[in-house]
Amino acid sequence: MLELWSPATRHGLWRRLWLALAEAQRELGVAIPEEAIRQMRANLDKIDFDAVAAYEKRFRHDVMAHVHAFGDVAPAAKPFIHLGATRAYVTDNADLILMRRGLDLLRGRVLDVLRSLTAFAEQWRDQPTLGYTHLQPAQLTTVGKRATLWMQDLVLDIADIDYRRRTLPFRGVKGTTGTQASFLELFEGDHEKVRRLDQLVTERVSFPASLPVTGQTYTRKLDAFVLSVVAGVAASAAKFSGDIRMLQSFGEIEEPFESEQVGSSAMAYKRNPMRAERIASLARFVNSLEGNANQTHAVQYFERTLDDSANRRLVIPEMFLATDAILLLMANISRGLEVHPAVIGRRVAAELPFMATEQLIVRAVLAGGDRQVAHETIRKHSLAAARALKDGADSNDLLERLSKDKSFGVKLKDLEGAIDPKRFVGRAPEQVDEFLRDVVTPLFAGETARPGRPDELRV
Amino acid sequence: MLMQTSALPLTPFRRGKVRDVYEVDADRLLLVATDRVSAFDVVMSETIPHKGAVLTQITAWWLRQLEDKVEHHMLSGNTAEIVREVPQLRDHEQELAGRAMLCRRSTVFPVECVVRGYLSGSAWKEYRERGTLAGEALSKGLRESDRLDPPIFSPATKADEGHDENITVDRMRTLIGDSWAGELERLSREIYEAGRAIAARRGIIIADTKFEFGRARSTGGEGVEKVILVDEVLTPDSSRFWPADSYEPGHGQPSFDKQPLRDYLDAEKRAGRWDGNYPPPRLPKDVIEATSERYLDIFRRLTGHSLDPNGSH
Repeated sequence: MLELWSPATRHGLWRRLWLALAEAQRELGVAIPEEAIRQMRANLDKIDFDAVAAYEKRFRHDVMAHVHAFGDVAPAAKPFIHLGATRAYVTDNADLILMRRGLDLLRGRVLDVLRSLTAFAEQWRDQPTLGYTHLQPAQLTTVGKRATLWMQDLVLDIADIDYRRRTLPFRGVKGTTGTQASFLELFEGDHEKVRRLDQLVTERVSFPASLPVTGQTYTRKLDAFVLSVVAGVAASAAKFSGDIRMLQSFGEIEEPFESEQVGSSAMAYKRNPMRAERIASLARFVNSLEGNANQTHAVQYFERTLDDSANRRLVIPEMFLATDAILLLMANISRGLEVHPAVIGRRVAAELPFMATEQLIVRAVLAGGDRQVAHETIRKHSLAAARALKDGADSNDLLERLSKDKSFGVKLKDLEGAIDPKRFVGRAPEQVDEFLRDVVTPLFAGETARPGRPDELRV
Repeated sequence: MLMQTSALPLTPFRRGKVRDVYEVDADRLLLVATDRVSAFDVVMSETIPHKGAVLTQITAWWLRQLEDKVEHHMLSGNTAEIVREVPQLRDHEQELAGRAMLCRRSTVFPVECVVRGYLSGSAWKEYRERGTLAGEALSKGLRESDRLDPPIFSPATKADEGHDENITVDRMRTLIGDSWAGELERLSREIYEAGRAIAARRGIIIADTKFEFGRARSTGGEGVEKVILVDEVLTPDSSRFWPADSYEPGHGQPSFDKQPLRDYLDAEKRAGRWDGNYPPPRLPKDVIEATSERYLDIFRRLTGHSLDPNGSH
């Protein structure tokens, strides 16, 4: 992702766009010699950035500096480079290509995360764990089922990425204020050739279409569309990171911790969820920028104003780079999650007897009891057991209290049989299986995992 | 070496990556196939000699073979005849030679009628993932490139952007009405099966294909709208052509027409000389010639004679 937003990539794209323009103009009859095309092709990536800097100092114009530096190495093409075009021809079209490739890179990263979480969800598909609503223990779910909630968010993000990727239009060949006047001049009033030029260049860079109309720039709404998808990915990761941080606080699940990692400079025993916290940190940064793109669009006046420029140069690359880092962190955490079933089991055991009211009533009635009486007995003992826990009891003794209460009439062994945690997880394991089979696995078809070892975490 | 045809003195109607359509008058369109070629979703800088003429003349040949099964849109595929009909084209006879088709206009149905006789491409991908094709369950244990009997009809919508979207037959009925949908499916199957059998005897497997249909007043003029076959028909661009002599299910098959081109581009990618984006590598002469020869070979095999550059057979 760093390479994508590098000057070498961006300005290599400018040169490709100048080549595409010259090739298409030549095809439509402009007298550009074959040698000019050949020289442009041969120098697409040989960019002398010192020469560019020297030109830019003279001209105070980055695009013209690059035009001249390109012309120096492709002298036969010099008279034709940028013919009829305005700066937005290279800058805007290159931005669209970069954003499209950025979406492709993010998509690959999201799939990496999904691969790791798939293995995790499979392994823990039927491990009962406390489910929470209002951050209070509710009913049980499974560790794997909870992972599918994180995964589904990413699957939805992929659908959004794919839609944007597929439909993102090109700015195309439109001229200074979007009227194509200079090109109409170039083709001596032949409207059809001007239309064809726009189409030919668009086809060459494999965009489905160019915007039908533009001002000088493409509408900045496109930035807002794309960046909203990027921000959506960051938000999904932030939700995941919040859950991990709390699970680590409970001691149930921890993010990976290297053998020599230091948790705290002072508190040597500490093991902090610092990677998940870093996701939260970066995701807040990304999400704070999402609205920026719409604001930039909103304050563009008439055919364009330049107050978009410096802002976009920061916002677009930084949102992509930060989200790339977020996904690297998320993949790293997902691969190394440490699950502690003993802690999970203990926390389930402390709550489960309370959740099992219905099952316990059924046992009492089957043993000859009265439903209404059983309910009252449970209510009374539940409150007492909860009180005892809050006052320092080691464990939830509701079942023992019930077994000793003659009015309830069920043996402790039978009561314990009624509260096997696996009986309280509903279809969670099956939902995991179905979700992985029907929704996630198809996404991997036709995709090969990245070769070699996973990316080293450097963020 | 035709790249594009914007110099024609006709109103452009629609432009595709490799084909242009012009309005002649209220009743007629001119379809012109260029020599442009794309691979891996990228249009090549070079053209493939004779490709446009081969595509047009293959369509013309099929339409004549299929005349007893379906009405079609072709008025003429013979350039000299077309120029007589449309005199403003007389200065362009040379560049249009073989590649132009004069057609009657119709209201084109907004669905692509895809028929698959072999399990390949996106259909194989869907089957491998879910055991279905176009949402319908298929028998288990099929291999990639296996023959499907009967062939499977899987319509798609025509997307303006990007790739066409597969739809169910039910969705197609909703889109264009039950009776038209039934007629299009029946014709698609019949034409494909006839074409598949004819091509197989000539060493070519037509693995799958895409038809488009329109509705127009019957040529008899009695005012009843009838389905007519439009667009290109059973060409290597609208279909997957495989060489029958090397056919072996269990893996992907080479493409009869584009394999030399794909092999070359694959090698360039593997060598790190091409990243799959614009600009594509320059095609060497031998690759261009080999690809051109493939198209001419397909034409010879199907029709039994060599391509007449004027399209006047």
